[in-house]
Amino acid sequence: MNPIEGLLYFLDRMVRIATKYSSFFGQGVMNTLIIAFFAVLLGTILGTLLAVMKMGKLKPTRWFATAYIEFIRGTPLMIQLMFIFYGLPMAGITFPTVSFIPNFDRFAAGIFAMSINSAAYVAEIVRSGIQAVDKGQTEAARSLGFKQSQTLMMVVLPQAIKNILPALGNEFVTVIKESSIVSIIGIADLMYQTSGVMSVTYIQLETLAVAAIIYFIMTFFTSRLIAFAERKMANGTR
Amino acid sequence: MAQDELIVVKDLNKSFGKLHVLKDVNTTIRKGEVVAVIGPSGSGKSTFLRCLNLLEVPTGGHVFFEGVDICDKKTNIDLHRQKIGMVFQQFNLFNNMTVLQNITAAPVKIRKMDPKAAEEKALQLLDRVGLADKAGSYPAQLSGGQKQRVAIVRALAMEPDVMLFDEPTSALDPEMVGEVLQVMKDLAAEGMTMVVVTHEMSFAREVSSRVIFMADGQIREDRPARDLFADPHDDRLKDFLSKVLNL
Repeated sequence: MNPIEGLLYFLDRMVRIATKYSSFFGQGVMNTLIIAFFAVLLGTILGTLLAVMKMGKLKPTRWFATAYIEFIRGTPLMIQLMFIFYGLPMAGITFPTVSFIPNFDRFAAGIFAMSINSAAYVAEIVRSGIQAVDKGQTEAARSLGFKQSQTLMMVVLPQAIKNILPALGNEFVTVIKESSIVSIIGIADLMYQTSGVMSVTYIQLETLAVAAIIYFIMTFFTSRLIAFAERKMANGTR
Repeated sequence: MAQDELIVVKDLNKSFGKLHVLKDVNTTIRKGEVVAVIGPSGSGKSTFLRCLNLLEVPTGGHVFFEGVDICDKKTNIDLHRQKIGMVFQQFNLFNNMTVLQNITAAPVKIRKMDPKAAEEKALQLLDRVGLADKAGSYPAQLSGGQKQRVAIVRALAMEPDVMLFDEPTSALDPEMVGEVLQVMKDLAAEGMTMVVVTHEMSFAREVSSRVIFMADGQIREDRPARDLFADPHDDRLKDFLSKVLNL
């Protein structure tokens, strides 16, 4: 078999796996997107909070935010996930179960771990985005009599978002890929389903190639979507 | 405290770390006065101005605005800032808002003015500075002179008792200085109390009623404009004037 024939053979098996197990992969895509979506959503909220804490005047919260960010960014996500899923219940903190949503506790743990991890990265993105807004904007607002909170909401954040969005888009893409780690705690995400297909078919590389392509499609469309949003926001103002 | 004393500055001191920028500054701004603050760069003019609305927090002394010590930590500075308009060298229009939104934001959000009424008033003010057709534009679409005129209108929309100008024409191309100065002259003619940090000696001489000359963080001379230019006492002032007037 020459290389061309080999490649065609490989592609043929990929197509057959993708079609035969499409509902399997589809289920995985759904779960991956659910996890990534909530992780980014909560991560953004938590991260913004951390950024505000880190830029604030209060020393204890500033110290906490800095320590949190450094620690989370300096340790592997896999270990963080393990500690949250296995460690917290040992400490008496269990994730709730919901009867009509199977594996809710696993999802909760996965999303929680992804969120607190992503929050550390988002915090730095938000902080640098806010600090990139010219100080004169704040001074002008304060000189008119706006309170600090009003200044933040009306003047600084709307402008910071334009600085933040591209990097936040990257973070979303990263979370989609990194979320494959939750398969180790038994969440049926795309990676978990891929392993399932491999163990049924005994076909490794072709199955992994299918998964890689699906991941790529997800991240590619996400980054396109964000580029589109960026263009929308740039309209008029600059 | 006399009725017409709008701002009273008492033993004002300001340090940035080891750098002592303002040293025991004392002066009084009265209603209707147009005070020009001149001096070499680094003399503390801008810092002095920024202490008047607490954008810079003094390290010592007091600033009384309409009888209230605004340096007192218990004073709600936001309330007093509503009455103190400020115009910046770099314009500092809100980039995320249109010209109209820039002007109406404070009256609507802070004064709780009816949005329709605020817009009407903003358009009137814009018309006065010849920019009514720019209401829907964003700051990025305006020239420097236009931006500064909008910035003046934005401050005026809050109906302040005093206007602070921090080198309002220093960042402008030369051909745009005139249009901004004209707006300021009109404002002075209407009786607005103004404190203007400026390098425009013609403005200081012709429009202001009083000139404060600062050097090394101190007020070296504080006299009516005509006297000060005709007969400067201080050596630093003589030196400064000879440099800026004989170009």
